[in-house]
Amino acid sequence: MKKYLYIFRAEMMSALQYFSNLFSGFIGYFIIIFILLNLWNYIYDDPTELINGYTKTQMIWYVIITEILWKIFNGRKFCRQICNDVKGGNIAYNMNKPYSYIGYVLSSHLGEGLVKTVAYVAVGMILGKIFLGTFPSHSVSSLMIVFLSGLLAVIIDALCIIFISLISFYIEDAHPLYWLYSKMILILGTMFPVEFFPTALQGIIAMTPIYVICYGPAKLFVDFSMDSAIHIIIFQILYVLVAYALCLALYRKGVRKLNVNGG
Amino acid sequence: MLTAVKNQIKVTFISVKYALMREMLNKTTFLMNVIFMILNNASFILQWVVIYSLKSDVGGYSFGQVLLLWGTAASTFGFAHFFFKKSFSLSDAITNGKLDSYLVQPKNVLISAITSDVEPSAIGDLIYGVIMLIVSGLTIPKVLLFILFTISGGITMTSFAVILASLSFWFGRADSVADTGNGMITHFATYPDGIFHGISKIILYTIIPAGIINYIPVSVMTTFDVRLTLLVLAITVGMTALAFLFFYRGLRRYSSSNLMIAKI
Amino acid sequence: MAVIEVKNLKKNFRVKLKEKGLKGSLKSMVKASYRTVEAVKGVNFEVQEGEVIAFIGPNGAGKSTTIKMLTGILYPDGGDIRVLGIDPTKERKKLAYEIGTVFGQKEQLWMHLTPYDNFKFFGAIYDIPDKEAEKRIEEIKELFELQEIMNTPVRNLSLGQRIRCEIAASLIHQPKVLFLDEPTIGLDPVVKDSIRKLIKKMNKEYHTTVFLTSHDVSDIEKLCKRVIIINNGELVMDDSMENLKYHHLNKKIIEIKLAKMADFSNFDGIKVLKQKDTNFKLEIDLKKKSIADVLKLIHSDDLIDMNISNTPLEEIISEIYRDGVKV
Repeated sequence: MKKYLYIFRAEMMSALQYFSNLFSGFIGYFIIIFILLNLWNYIYDDPTELINGYTKTQMIWYVIITEILWKIFNGRKFCRQICNDVKGGNIAYNMNKPYSYIGYVLSSHLGEGLVKTVAYVAVGMILGKIFLGTFPSHSVSSLMIVFLSGLLAVIIDALCIIFISLISFYIEDAHPLYWLYSKMILILGTMFPVEFFPTALQGIIAMTPIYVICYGPAKLFVDFSMDSAIHIIIFQILYVLVAYALCLALYRKGVRKLNVNGG
Repeated sequence: MLTAVKNQIKVTFISVKYALMREMLNKTTFLMNVIFMILNNASFILQWVVIYSLKSDVGGYSFGQVLLLWGTAASTFGFAHFFFKKSFSLSDAITNGKLDSYLVQPKNVLISAITSDVEPSAIGDLIYGVIMLIVSGLTIPKVLLFILFTISGGITMTSFAVILASLSFWFGRADSVADTGNGMITHFATYPDGIFHGISKIILYTIIPAGIINYIPVSVMTTFDVRLTLLVLAITVGMTALAFLFFYRGLRRYSSSNLMIAKI
Repeated sequence: MAVIEVKNLKKNFRVKLKEKGLKGSLKSMVKASYRTVEAVKGVNFEVQEGEVIAFIGPNGAGKSTTIKMLTGILYPDGGDIRVLGIDPTKERKKLAYEIGTVFGQKEQLWMHLTPYDNFKFFGAIYDIPDKEAEKRIEEIKELFELQEIMNTPVRNLSLGQRIRCEIAASLIHQPKVLFLDEPTIGLDPVVKDSIRKLIKKMNKEYHTTVFLTSHDVSDIEKLCKRVIIINNGELVMDDSMENLKYHHLNKKIIEIKLAKMADFSNFDGIKVLKQKDTNFKLEIDLKKKSIADVLKLIHSDDLIDMNISNTPLEEIISEIYRDGVKV
């Protein structure tokens, strides 16, 4: 376990050096939240109105959370890194090291994500306080559950991207697949809660990772209930186990293929 | 004077042509870039379908106008990034001494520097812009205005990028500032201006010129207005002049690759 | 006629100071501190028409900075430059039509195009009519022996072929002055030699004035009649190659092989550089001892082999760098 901690720390240190990039990231984040704030201000006629079960304040808190998650995911770089490892044969080199490749990339991704998490959660909360004035009501334990759910969301997203990237063992370029995945998350996950889509579509979305990656943590933050928390966390844990198993299977199969071909 | 301009245009076009040929060496990658950009832009239609299911007008825009807004945003972005790709990484060229070869040529340094590369995916943006124009309903005046505003908007966007990048002459690395500024225009340009009020609206017509690049053009294409059209063109000329002024002022401080960082 | 006139030329750079480590990075981001470095400190020289001149100095001496100011890339902080009577800071474009530049480490060519397409592109840049451009390309092709590679994309050429094309491309507009910054860097000796021959030929055929910087002393020795040496932003020498050799060649190297043991260690003006058995390598200071004096010390019957040579130019130059001999 210690080695993962070390990888995690090293990545975190280098992420700190990218502080100035982070700052311009904040401005980008601010702009998006500002635009969506104006958009929902226009769409809601008055603050007490409910659209699909959400008040205006809840709606804006919802996007504050999903946009934080989106910033932490940073999937394109992550996908490129793994694809390069597969294509460049680096993955075979990693095979001889006394740690699992998936464990390695996951912990390095999370290390980088932690700095961002702290930064963006702070920025998001400040923006919410300035724009909306109120926080959704929470107890310490419910906040911890939301945080846990957010962490699981980041892990599931990372595993999904690892899975997609490992497909490069079999196809020339996995980037288009990642692209489709990220578009799905961005359009169907970060912009609106599931309830905003037509009923038929809602059922489908509930079965995709969108439900556990974006909707789950954001919904718990804006409208917490123990019932939905248990429901979402159980779903997320199942997702983690299944996704990890799939990644491992694909990795083992892929590496074997690499060996057969003398990669 | 006239021959000088003619020669400059000739060199610019050869440069763009050669850069395009370079990108087309790998045809599959090239086509993928173009197609995926079209799909990328198209995916955002879904967002607007959901929004318009809640309310029939957003910021005074009908659904068709939002499509036209997206079309103009894509085509101006595409025009700027296809012809003037390097203006969006000009800060890097300034701080890392990549302007040398343009400085020894008897042509305009800024134009040579920004036209030395093209962005294949920008062709996808241009195509998407045209598709949205067609979807929103074609008339001859609208088509002509669309072409005019694509060019003027693309040039304004480029000028904005050049001005931000020129800050590097004075303050060193300014690439994240430039990236942020350029990103802002695109973000704002894809939402109706009617949702913004007060200071933010003033900013969108001044410091972040999304209004000049997109909002006024969409309004003029819906109901024609000579004065607004001329205003857009005047601002385009002004911005271009400002970009050249900033760049050439800064060029005196250009330090080629001699910029050093001393470690203590 | 003076083609290049430089008077009291100065250039300063602002150097960003950065402390080590993460703390230093954060600190420099909040408040950067700068120090001014004088890269060129008031330099004066002239170059005459048709000269091939070497402009040399150690790394960071200010030679690239100077060449960049002469070509209009950098803006000077003081002094006056005239190249062909043109001030590069005021009439950059006008000057660009008259000069050619080759920067050894920087590519000016389009890699995916053939030399022919590249030459056509440069023809357009210098506003040469198509017909005239074709004629000149034909001429340059002959002179540079580019027939076989004319239709191969530049990225498939060897480094030497590429440099040849770079120089060729910089001559399309028949410049009166050619600036070459490290043209032979990274090339093997055979290619280096062919590049040198080319520069010589070009100087002869077109009477082009050549201003050359190089690290390679043999470039200078073979090409240039005059040498300007710059160090720490100041000229330390401006003299003809002959004078340079004459003034600094007051030492000779004598290598001898003797039949019997001898001792040279106690003579003023003789320095034993190397000794192995009865083989000696001696440095003679001609101000103190003549060659004849040395020969008197040796019994002619004992002499098996002897070789007298000059100090290599390389050593002379590094000596000048070290001592900073004032002109």
